[in-house]
Order: sequence, then C-alpha cells, then structure tokens
Amino acid sequence: MRKIKTKPFGEIEVDESQEITFPEGLFGFEQYKKFYLLENPDSPFLWLQSSQDPSLAFILISPMQFKADYELKISDEDYKSIDIKDKEKELLDFVIVTVPSDPEKMTANLQGPIIINIKKKLGKQAISLKEDYTVRCPILDEMKRTMSKKDKAEEK
Amino acid sequence: MLVLARKINQSIIIQDNIEIMILDIQGEQVKIGIKAPKEIKIYRKEIYEEIQRENIRAAQSKLPEDIKKLI
Repeated sequence: MRKIKTKPFGEIEVDESQEITFPEGLFGFEQYKKFYLLENPDSPFLWLQSSQDPSLAFILISPMQFKADYELKISDEDYKSIDIKDKEKELLDFVIVTVPSDPEKMTANLQGPIIINIKKKLGKQAISLKEDYTVRCPILDEMKRTMSKKDKAEEK
Repeated sequence: MLVLARKINQSIIIQDNIEIMILDIQGEQVKIGIKAPKEIKIYRKEIYEEIQRENIRAAQSKLPEDIKKLI
C-alpha cells in the first residue's frame, strides 16, 4: 500500500498494484501517464486520479449509466495499443464528465472515450468512430430519454 | 513547412508507405485520399483539438455534494 494525495478525497491509501499506465497520456495531458481509478461513494461516478499530480483528476462514468443505446466504436489499433485480447475479461470503458457551475448541465465526452485493460493495467483515450458522438453529450437529458424509453417498454 | 503544389490525381509519398492523393477540388473544399499502414493514426485536426479542449474543461470539474439528488 502507498499513500497518495488526491483531488477529491485528500490523502488516501491505494494499492500500488492497481496503478494504471496510460502510455500516451490523455489529449492535452500527455505528460501524465500514471493514474488510479477511485470510486466515488454512493454515485455512479469514478475518479481517474493522476499519481503524479494530486490536483489532476478526471470524473468518469460508465456511459451505460445514462445512455442505454451507447456503442463503443473505436479502431482495432486503439484496442491493440492497450493489448486487449478478450474484451469481456479485460476491457473497461468510461467517458469523461465535465461538470460546469450548474451541475444540471453536466456533459460527457463521447468523442474521446477512456478504455482500460484492467488485467494489464493499461489505459488510453481513444477516439470514437461514431460520427454523431460529440465531446459534450448532456448527461441528464440523455438519462431522461433512456428512462422514458424504459418506462414505455415496461408499459408494453 | 514543406509546400508542394499538386493537381487532381497527383499525390505525394511520405516514408515509402504513406501516399496522399488529391482526389477532387471543388471551390474551397479539397478531397484528399490517404493510403497508409493501419497503425498510422489519421484524424481530422479539429477532433483532436476539441477533445483536448474538453479534457482541460473536464479537469477543472468538481462533483457537488448533493450529486445524489441529480443522478
């Protein structure tokens, strides 16, 4: 175990074996290559916390939490770069969340999904090949749409 | 920056294995064809820049205390 300083939780203990390497960093943050994935208690959010800089952390969410018809469509090269051989056993995928001053307007970046090989502890920010996915998908609107679809399906 | 003038159907070769061809020119728009090995990543620059900008905004985000009420 090792102690690190984090943006959301201050100093915490982490298991070093859980550190994830992003060999290319994230777009615009290429110099930061080591991260921990931290759960945010009682919420669907997680934090991608840099172990190099305590003040650098991204909020993540699994896109399936708010968009039932989400589809991860990225190039084979993106999978290869984190050595994914068995998607079911190795792959975790998230999107980065931006929370503006009005949290109800929070958005998710569907254009640049985060993929992680959880077995090999490798990560990457991929680029979605879906043309209609943007960097600012409104999470709450999308969630309402998903819920109302679900309700309708249940009525039938 | 190296500047080359090309006409339709003319191309340039980079490193023996990347070919960039001018396919069509219509007014202000140029159609470009690129032949390259699979591992060479090719993206429109604005997509790159958009993700970069959004990452910078995202890095400044905080989760409000009452997030549970929202989601």
